[in-house]
Amino acid sequence: MNLLDTLLRCVAALVVFLTFPLIIGQTEHKVMAHMQGRLGPMYAGGFHGWAQLVADGVKFAQKEDIVPAGADRRIFQLAPAVSLLPYLFVLLVVPVGPHGFVGQAVDAGIFFVLAVMGVGVIGKLMAGWASANKFSLLGGLRTAAQLMSYELPMVLAAASAAMAAGTLSLTGIVEAFHWWWLPWQAIGAFVFFTAGLAELQRPPFDMPVADSEIIFGAYTEYTGLRFAFFLLSEYAGILVVCALTTVLFLGGWHGPLPDSLGWLWTILKTFALAFVVIWLRVTYPRLREDQLMRFAWTVLVPLALVQLALTGIIKVAISQ
Amino acid sequence: MNILAAAGSLAPATRGFLSPTGAEIVFVLVGLAVLGAAVISVGTRQLVHAALWLVVALGGLAIEFLLLTAEFVAWVQVLIYLGSVVVLVLFGLMLTKAPIGRSPDADSGNRWVALLVALAAAGTLVTLVVDAFRTSWIDLGAGGGSASVTGASLFRNWVLPFEALSVLLLAALIGAIVLSRSRQAAAPKPRAGRLRTGKPVGAAPAAKSPAAQSPSSERES
Amino acid sequence: MNLPGSGLAKGLAVTLRTMTKKTVTAQYPEVQPHLPPRSRGVIGLLEENCTVCMLCARECPDWCIYIDSHKETLPAVDPNARARTRNVLDRFAIDFSLCMYCGICIEVCPFDALFWSPEFEYAETDILELTHERDKLREWMWTVPAPPALDPGAEEPKEIAAARKAADKLAAAAGGDPA
Repeated sequence: MNLLDTLLRCVAALVVFLTFPLIIGQTEHKVMAHMQGRLGPMYAGGFHGWAQLVADGVKFAQKEDIVPAGADRRIFQLAPAVSLLPYLFVLLVVPVGPHGFVGQAVDAGIFFVLAVMGVGVIGKLMAGWASANKFSLLGGLRTAAQLMSYELPMVLAAASAAMAAGTLSLTGIVEAFHWWWLPWQAIGAFVFFTAGLAELQRPPFDMPVADSEIIFGAYTEYTGLRFAFFLLSEYAGILVVCALTTVLFLGGWHGPLPDSLGWLWTILKTFALAFVVIWLRVTYPRLREDQLMRFAWTVLVPLALVQLALTGIIKVAISQ
Repeated sequence: MNILAAAGSLAPATRGFLSPTGAEIVFVLVGLAVLGAAVISVGTRQLVHAALWLVVALGGLAIEFLLLTAEFVAWVQVLIYLGSVVVLVLFGLMLTKAPIGRSPDADSGNRWVALLVALAAAGTLVTLVVDAFRTSWIDLGAGGGSASVTGASLFRNWVLPFEALSVLLLAALIGAIVLSRSRQAAAPKPRAGRLRTGKPVGAAPAAKSPAAQSPSSERES
Repeated sequence: MNLPGSGLAKGLAVTLRTMTKKTVTAQYPEVQPHLPPRSRGVIGLLEENCTVCMLCARECPDWCIYIDSHKETLPAVDPNARARTRNVLDRFAIDFSLCMYCGICIEVCPFDALFWSPEFEYAETDILELTHERDKLREWMWTVPAPPALDPGAEEPKEIAAARKAADKLAAAAGGDPA
């Protein structure tokens, strides 16, 4: 792999990182509006408000960048980057198509992905603490508690997929996929996707940013581009979680079309899942903090363990 | 030594130290960064900054693991230490006491003793490592520390320590549960919801509680 | 029918169904709203019909109609008769910042000088400009829709019936003379 190739892959990942979250955000605008009997943005860009998020970006860039007087300046300013960058790194290793259609194949891909995504929490904790605001601190604490609780079922569900495939590499998992994995890994897929939603603090798991009680959680004091970065990290997170669910449980590029069009399947499945994410947000109300924790520990963790046992049993039965 | 054997052979020192490769330079630089971050982490008077410098130090260690081709260990380091342990530390700090700015009571009276212990420990470790390897050179092959190699080594040669560790962790887990449970049993607190449902609507509170207690409870409320 | 999670599924179905339905958003500046035919938008004044009887101004619950007038003496047609006086309208204004669109003025006008118009886009940045003077009120008259058609077989309106009667009489007189 020469330098040019590496550079090209990095640039491609960056472009995907900067555009796909916007597409998801715009889809959310429109889908959410129509699910509520509204039209959503209609002006920016002319045709059905397609450039709404671009306009939002311009607006954010124009805003004054305020750091509260009592805040810890450097950490306050650093937090958005810490929150955003992990998703970029994750995107780099998600396989899109067969034959090396991936930013950078990593041997222990699942571990890399889960590890790096866990780092994003630190950014949110930093933001919550450094804002010198009690709502921010509460939001940060809720974020941390929620992410720690949901990390476990997520890792267990991912481990089930890795067990089924017999490899930790994301590309290897997709290559080992067969259609009958769908019923076999259904519980795992459910647990992974739900825990992923909770990691992103998407409704109905958006207790850490519950606007009716703690304003906007850890992001309360942020304005301008830094706030936009936090929002971007949320939408990049949707992209990453949907892409990972696709790769681990829905067979990535496997589909009726020939292999050369495999990337289309990956993207299609990812966006279908993103639609589900939006759909869930529109449909369900926010869970209370105790319900949130109870759901993680009494529903998702046992389900993930059941899936692990099931995977193990069938794996042994197959190999004999 | 199975990991090392898998990673490369303990070849005699055929390389000079004066012509380092790029990877070696990066290794040393990252090592210095880790050392600096660790020292600041211990020395700073701002509690949360200390935890964040710890993040830098542990992340740097993960990079060092990567440079040594121990990919699996590196990601585990990030997942466990950065993603969980440091987050727990930060969580605990913020729950209890995390002022912005310097904490006046961050200095311990034991700091000279601590410095002594740290220096002694570092001295012992460095001496040990230097004495063990001396000038031997380990050729690092790509994939030498991959998940499959690490896994095979762990479950073939090191099963017993692994299982012992898991039993230890299980004991810690059960201990934590027992500790948190016993305190609950000592001071039973009825949940607010149940209290409300148990009380008939409109019942006078004075009728239930003894007359002697009712003034105090009123004053409280 | 009480499967666990059936409520959750029902919620998803509701949102999905709503998404496929037509939205209720009114895209007002681009698309004009579809108003009922007799909407109360603004009040028009047909000043030719106004006799300055002041009924509207007196009945207005919030006194938002301002009328000024003076009397004019018309020279008598017949030298034996008295000279007639006539009320001449000097000012007729409705303050739409006070008007509550009750329509009482239109109801009480005995001479059909006030009408409802469905026009509603006359917001101003200065509240004083919401007081529409007589020329503006006269302009609104052009936007007043034609009265609804009568029911089939309904009685003729009185003025038309009277006119027809006169015309018939005239025709009969004209027809009778040569006969």
